[in-house]
Amino acid sequence: MKVKFILNGKPVELDVDPRETLIDTLRLRLKVKSVKRGCERGECGSCTVLINGNPVISCILLTIQINGAEITTVEGLVGDILLEKLAKNFIDNGAIQCGFCTPGILLTAYAGIKQGKIKKSEDVKEYVNNLCRCTGYVKIIEAIAKTADEVWGHER
Amino acid sequence: MSVEFMFIGKRTPRKDAEAKVTGMLKYTYDLEVPGMLIGRIVRSPYAFADIRRIDVSEAVKMGAIVVTPSDIPQKPYNPRLVSINEVTFKDTYILTYKPRYLGEPVAAVAASSEELAQKAAECVKIEFEKIYKPILDPLEAMKPESPRIHEKIMKGDKWIEVENNIAARLDYDEGDVNRGFEEADVIVERTFKTGKRYHMQLEPKAVLVVLEPGGKLTIYTTTQTIHNTRILISQLFDIPESRINVVRVPIGGSFGSSIQTNYLVPIAVALALKAKKPVKIAYTREEDILDHSNFVFHFKIKIGAKKNGVFAAAEFINILDVGAHQVQPYPLLGTSLGWFISMYKWKNIRYRGIAVYTNKVPGCALRGYGAPEVQWAVETLVDEIAEKLGIDPIDLRLKNYVGKGEIFWGQGPTVKSIIKSDGVPELLLKGKEIIRWSERGHPSEKKGRFRRGIGVGRGFHTSGAGGPISGEVIDYTGCILKLNEDGTLDYITALQDHGGGTLDAHVKIIAEELGIPPELVNIATASTETTPYDVCTHASRGTYVGGECARRAAQIVKQKILEAAIRIIGRVVNPEALRIGYDKELKQAVVYVEGTDIKLTLAEIARTSWQRNWGTIGAFVSYRATSAPPSFTVYYVEVEVDTWTGKVKPIRVVAGADVGTPINPDMVEGQLHGGFVMAWGMAFTENTAYDPLTGEIMGRGLITDYKIPTAADVPTPEEFTVIIAKTYEPTGPFGAKGLGEAAMNPAVAAILNAVYNAIGIRFYELPVTPDKIIEALKEKGELEW
Repeated sequence: MKVKFILNGKPVELDVDPRETLIDTLRLRLKVKSVKRGCERGECGSCTVLINGNPVISCILLTIQINGAEITTVEGLVGDILLEKLAKNFIDNGAIQCGFCTPGILLTAYAGIKQGKIKKSEDVKEYVNNLCRCTGYVKIIEAIAKTADEVWGHER
Repeated sequence: MSVEFMFIGKRTPRKDAEAKVTGMLKYTYDLEVPGMLIGRIVRSPYAFADIRRIDVSEAVKMGAIVVTPSDIPQKPYNPRLVSINEVTFKDTYILTYKPRYLGEPVAAVAASSEELAQKAAECVKIEFEKIYKPILDPLEAMKPESPRIHEKIMKGDKWIEVENNIAARLDYDEGDVNRGFEEADVIVERTFKTGKRYHMQLEPKAVLVVLEPGGKLTIYTTTQTIHNTRILISQLFDIPESRINVVRVPIGGSFGSSIQTNYLVPIAVALALKAKKPVKIAYTREEDILDHSNFVFHFKIKIGAKKNGVFAAAEFINILDVGAHQVQPYPLLGTSLGWFISMYKWKNIRYRGIAVYTNKVPGCALRGYGAPEVQWAVETLVDEIAEKLGIDPIDLRLKNYVGKGEIFWGQGPTVKSIIKSDGVPELLLKGKEIIRWSERGHPSEKKGRFRRGIGVGRGFHTSGAGGPISGEVIDYTGCILKLNEDGTLDYITALQDHGGGTLDAHVKIIAEELGIPPELVNIATASTETTPYDVCTHASRGTYVGGECARRAAQIVKQKILEAAIRIIGRVVNPEALRIGYDKELKQAVVYVEGTDIKLTLAEIARTSWQRNWGTIGAFVSYRATSAPPSFTVYYVEVEVDTWTGKVKPIRVVAGADVGTPINPDMVEGQLHGGFVMAWGMAFTENTAYDPLTGEIMGRGLITDYKIPTAADVPTPEEFTVIIAKTYEPTGPFGAKGLGEAAMNPAVAAILNAVYNAIGIRFYELPVTPDKIIEALKEKGELEW
């Protein structure tokens, strides 16, 4: 089946098997390797991408379902001010260990902050449900909350 | 001891952070090479069976490459090579006609895509000769009438008979236990059982095997030890080590699951050798659960104490459910004993350790190698004894713990050393104040739906498995450090970083020793053919053993830099007159003589050595630590139990760590946060339960049914306090010790002691799920609905 979408700002047109998942399209065909395969059951969030700005788990989504949508991965946010702030706070705060969950968590946090759903640390605990096995989330919550404060702090 | 450092102890960003936040860092599963085939494994649908025949004709017709046990050397092996050969028990076959757990690999296929490989795998027909009822309970397995899961296995190079499904034994006696118990005023005896936990490292295991021109093999895989992976493949396939190169690839967490070479590695090698093409295999999450999980521990522990709060005797019976194959439960029998002995001065000890086969996924190490389990049991009992004796639990701990000047069993009976640094009193007493211990109250005073309680747990882990005497455990490392022609350095080591920042710690240690900024030190890509041997990143040895090796290399390089500087300057008499430091104006490392204007940049020295043909300034060090010091940890936890739902919530955590000198406080905190949260999962949710009839993991191994904590389950950052003891380990690099496992070990005990303090109930079987809490409250007549 023919499918068209925008990936990180560039138009993509593909002929895919209707059973193909978005994670496979991204990783195997389009070589977007930041999208990690962690469980293929929609549990771990390592394969999170942004679809029209919303964080979506790409392992339980068929590629044909995203026809016409805009897909963003961390590769597409190089130079983006909010992502750079987030990344900087992750790095400075020691919120990165093995790094396997990092791109997915960054995207979830990015959408949450941008949409105003994350403004403080309690919001992070509600909104970010990606799994991480190394950090115990504490530094991740801090890094995201700090970024949210930089963006939304003036409102409070 | 207080030492002012330039880089050590400072919060510094890790070198791989940039690649991690941009998604550019490549893990094994991200690697691709042209012409690569994808492998899939055909697994036994039965937990215990004899296979008559494997029909691969359909799969071959599809064009797939197929391997069965008949194509593969039938040599028994043990995938974990950390112990010396004489005590390595070998019972595993790369592929087998006699599957002993549901999911054991029996054949494998490779095709040009994952989809085709999967189709081919599904076409492989297995004809069974006999299907047996699985044996899942180790106590059942030990009965003489139970069928034998293994008949003959190899211990070292000798075949041995397996009796009563006992995989290995270890007994130990010290003093007169019977008399000790006779003299005791209080005796507490309990049985404990843990869950069969799964590592749930975020990256499922993967491997890529590439046949280089000329037949050499290059292997990329998720491993904690590139060298042991090479040795094992060499032994299994009779290929010289010089024709195998295992590359160190970033790994997405591990927690002990790749101390052994994961089963998919030799399978991929067999496929690649047959296909004469590169082969990649990546487990699905469900396959990953079939590859590794923890041992199940069945403890019976009896402790006797005297009225004055001194212990009199201890008896410890440890029955390990090892699953279908040995991934070295024998050393675990030793470490379990070691953790037990090193907790408190029991005076008289009797230990019986028995490792028993069952038809479950082979058990392997999981962060702590028995210490979280032993410390949970011991710290529960110590609390019970304190209550019976009417002594404050903290005082009882301070009175009896094994500390400075005493012998620590770093890794079982053959790895012992003297404790030289000890932050236990500091951590226990500071933590007590922060958590407000004195206000914790007694469970009998607590009423209502939500009840809060405070608990303590004290423990430790070793830093490595070194020691003055060479024992049953192999522990040494090595590295190369060289000064480049522009004054930067390449640091070359086989040691793997699981994500904890171990290699960044090494860089800071090198920088500190040389007096140069860490930015000048490059962590080189590494593989077995370019690095000296390192046993494995396990046993919390990365910073302590690897870091000291790096420091020694830096010391040698420093001396050579100074000698080169003398040659350039001409007037200086000997290297001791020279200093290396960072020049803020020049923004580079310089060699200078104090009180003079003599100053050379490191870049000038490197350049001159190169231009004048003096040769490379560098060092090659192979290092064995002669000590394995304990890193002590103390947890104080406040929980809230919802007596209506049986759910428990963490309210406050005080995590105290004696890591000697902290190399990077951010990483110390990160280990403690992660360790606590992993302990939370161990305490309340994590277990792979088996269907008693089929021997299949319930829920088919989908992680939908294996719940690890999420961000919603952890305390808020403001309520998580970390205290780092002010200690200095004289045998460690700049006073440092390990942390990865100590960070978790005593946390489960603290959590469950807090549950006791909240509701007055103790639990002896993990995980403590809400239904168990509700059931126990009901029995106690305290269920309010």
